[in-house]
Amino acid sequence: MTNQEIMTLHPKIFSPLWKRSPIKIIVSLLIFSYLIFSIKYFNISITDFINGLNKMKPILLSMITWNDFLSWNFNSILVGILQTLAMAFLGTIAASIISIPLGLLASRQVMKINLFRFIIRRFLDFIRGVDILIWALIFVRAFGLGPLSGVLAIFIADTGTLSKLYSEAADNSDNKQIEGLISSGSSKLSTIRFGLMPQVIPIFISQSLYFFESNSRSAVILGIVGAGGIGLQLSERMKAQYWDQAFFIIIIILIMVALIDRLSRFLREKLIND
Amino acid sequence: MNEIILNSHNKSLIRKKRFWNISLITLLLIGITLSSKIIDFNSSNLLNGIPRLGDYVSQILPSLETNNLFLSSKDKGSIAYWYFNLPKYLKLLFETFNMALLATIIGSTLALFLSFLAAKNTSPNSLVFFTIRRILEFFRGVPEIIFAILFVWVLGIGPLAGIIAMTFHTTGSLGKLFSEVHENSNNKPIDALKASGGNWLSEMKFGLLPQVLPNLISYVLLRFEINIRASTILGFVGAGGIGQELYLVINFNYYEEVSAIILLIILTVVSIDLFSGYLRKNIIGVEND
Amino acid sequence: MKPLRIKNLKKKFKDTVAINGVNLEIEEGKITGIIGRSGSGKSTLLRMINRLIEPTEGTIEFNDTIITDIKGKALRKWRSECAMIFQQFNLVDRLDVLTNVLIGSLGRNYSFLNLFGYFSKEEKINALRNLNRFELTEKSLQRSGTLSGGQQQRVAIARALMQKPKILLADEPISSLDPKNSKRVMDDMLKINREDGITIICNLHSLEIAKKYCDRLIGLSEGEVVFDGKPNELTASISKKLYDLDDE
Repeated sequence: MTNQEIMTLHPKIFSPLWKRSPIKIIVSLLIFSYLIFSIKYFNISITDFINGLNKMKPILLSMITWNDFLSWNFNSILVGILQTLAMAFLGTIAASIISIPLGLLASRQVMKINLFRFIIRRFLDFIRGVDILIWALIFVRAFGLGPLSGVLAIFIADTGTLSKLYSEAADNSDNKQIEGLISSGSSKLSTIRFGLMPQVIPIFISQSLYFFESNSRSAVILGIVGAGGIGLQLSERMKAQYWDQAFFIIIIILIMVALIDRLSRFLREKLIND
Repeated sequence: MNEIILNSHNKSLIRKKRFWNISLITLLLIGITLSSKIIDFNSSNLLNGIPRLGDYVSQILPSLETNNLFLSSKDKGSIAYWYFNLPKYLKLLFETFNMALLATIIGSTLALFLSFLAAKNTSPNSLVFFTIRRILEFFRGVPEIIFAILFVWVLGIGPLAGIIAMTFHTTGSLGKLFSEVHENSNNKPIDALKASGGNWLSEMKFGLLPQVLPNLISYVLLRFEINIRASTILGFVGAGGIGQELYLVINFNYYEEVSAIILLIILTVVSIDLFSGYLRKNIIGVEND
Repeated sequence: MKPLRIKNLKKKFKDTVAINGVNLEIEEGKITGIIGRSGSGKSTLLRMINRLIEPTEGTIEFNDTIITDIKGKALRKWRSECAMIFQQFNLVDRLDVLTNVLIGSLGRNYSFLNLFGYFSKEEKINALRNLNRFELTEKSLQRSGTLSGGQQQRVAIARALMQKPKILLADEPISSLDPKNSKRVMDDMLKINREDGITIICNLHSLEIAKKYCDRLIGLSEGEVVFDGKPNELTASISKKLYDLDDE
């Protein structure tokens, strides 16, 4: 067979690029034109970047040259870390506890009245739609600057997410155990305790650990809008341009987060094995 | 005889479990007490704040009157009055949306390239593997808002600082996720490519990428959702978008604008979440490329 | 004659010695079968030939090149001349058959455009010709994962042919296939050996098939060569030693 014959036998394979994989071409073109649009829209210019880089150099330099190391206020940093951890801890616990009843109320198994379930679910969606930082700002207005507002922000934001998770876990749980209990005549409360709970509890503890991990990160951020903790310490130093101390605090934060990650993973693995 | 052994074994198990349960609860109680002390959390602070919270909430809620709901923006009580700044908000939302989109596109591209170097089975050597992994962890671990503050300092107030901050964080976060996907995938096609004399780039493009692409796209869409949320609040430190406006109206106590903007943000976030969720379900189901 | 010379080859994994001093000369243009129990070192030996596994001691020579010394571009060139097919085919399931075959050309004829998934007209024609030898052209645009085991292995052979190889290494190519497909794949390998003169080195676990298709048999036991000769020279006692049981 000649080459020409082969090509005529398989027209699809030898058709031009734009016919063979139109999606690939369209997506690439879209992304390319979007990039060009962004450059115009955001006024991205190379001179701006170069100016920015030039400004970065002294900042980066001062980040790694630590002068007067011993005169830094380590006490405030330590208190900041403890506050942040305390915020994350309390917020997680409070949210974990409240999310159980809320989650059950939002689940099909427990809340049979569709309208109430719908309302509760929308309420939880609303809470989740507002970013935790916005809640922090609102609570700072009401409760003042400081970690109390942070705890409340974490509490509210987590309740939204955790409740949804729990309600989904409850929805997906095995019906058979529950049916068995109902048929043997136990009350609704007992059904929940012995039918639903054993399946849900390991997930519950594991999720709480995971959320504590993530909340310790959030707690850092909340400090920046005034909700106390190490975030506040960091943003104050950045505003005062103490870049070396700021860098130091960033490293401390990274170490703290890494340690919590490890601890959380260790505990969760132990949970699976028990 | 066996029954006795079983029984005592059972009893010790129950005792062990009870021990663990009690110690857990004790630890928790200690933790709660300590934490409350550290942050000065007591019932008086909390109770004093609640009425203030109620006041604030009622202040930011719009004063809508059912008679005037659909009248013009000059008439108090109408929706148009509440949202008189809507054109401005929409412009800022558009800016916010684009910030997130651009950061996601650039971040995921960078993450893709770096992820090949940060996965054990595809990294050219262990020094590169270690270094790139640490770099990705750094970008992922430092909160975006910290980068944003830094870049506002360097580049000035405006969306650019936010875009760069989000790009760094996206690169770190996606880079790590991508590398985990690579490590969990099948090495056999990569072996086949190596055995046929292909270079490292071909191994990645033809051996690894086809396997992992749907997973990667799913993570990118998820990341876009997260970035939309982030871009709404980075403005708090001057990095542009609707966050900057929200920070302004909260600080100047333009009460009703606060609820107006918050509602808009919720609607935006929820719709992007839904749209992205829809795309993700369809990408995993249907293969393309 | 261009023999492949294996000199005193050894491979040690941590504490286990997988290959313990192998000396062989593989003839050009013939089908050489390597037989032995699982764990005897067949796969390790084969993969040292194209350096997927690095030997701990010893050398391999082909045509005045010391294969065990080359690096980088030269190593990739060797690998493109020395094609390999695998027990589990190692195709990319999500890609279509044609692309899988085209991948075989990357070692020999690589261009920047390939990274965008673009292959030249000439290579596509090559690929179709190779698929045609195995009567698989109708499946060209199907995902390779949807094909049967036997078909996938033959696609793998087509891919190997794209490399225009001098040697074909086959690592237990039929172990995952049923008897009918095994026969078909072995017949196809026989065909390319007779028609293209490609040297084939094939790991097999079935003694019967090995005797039927190979010009020469090498028996491996615990990393050492215990037999090297024609199939009809293989006595019952030696095969018992190789497998610890009778003829399969």
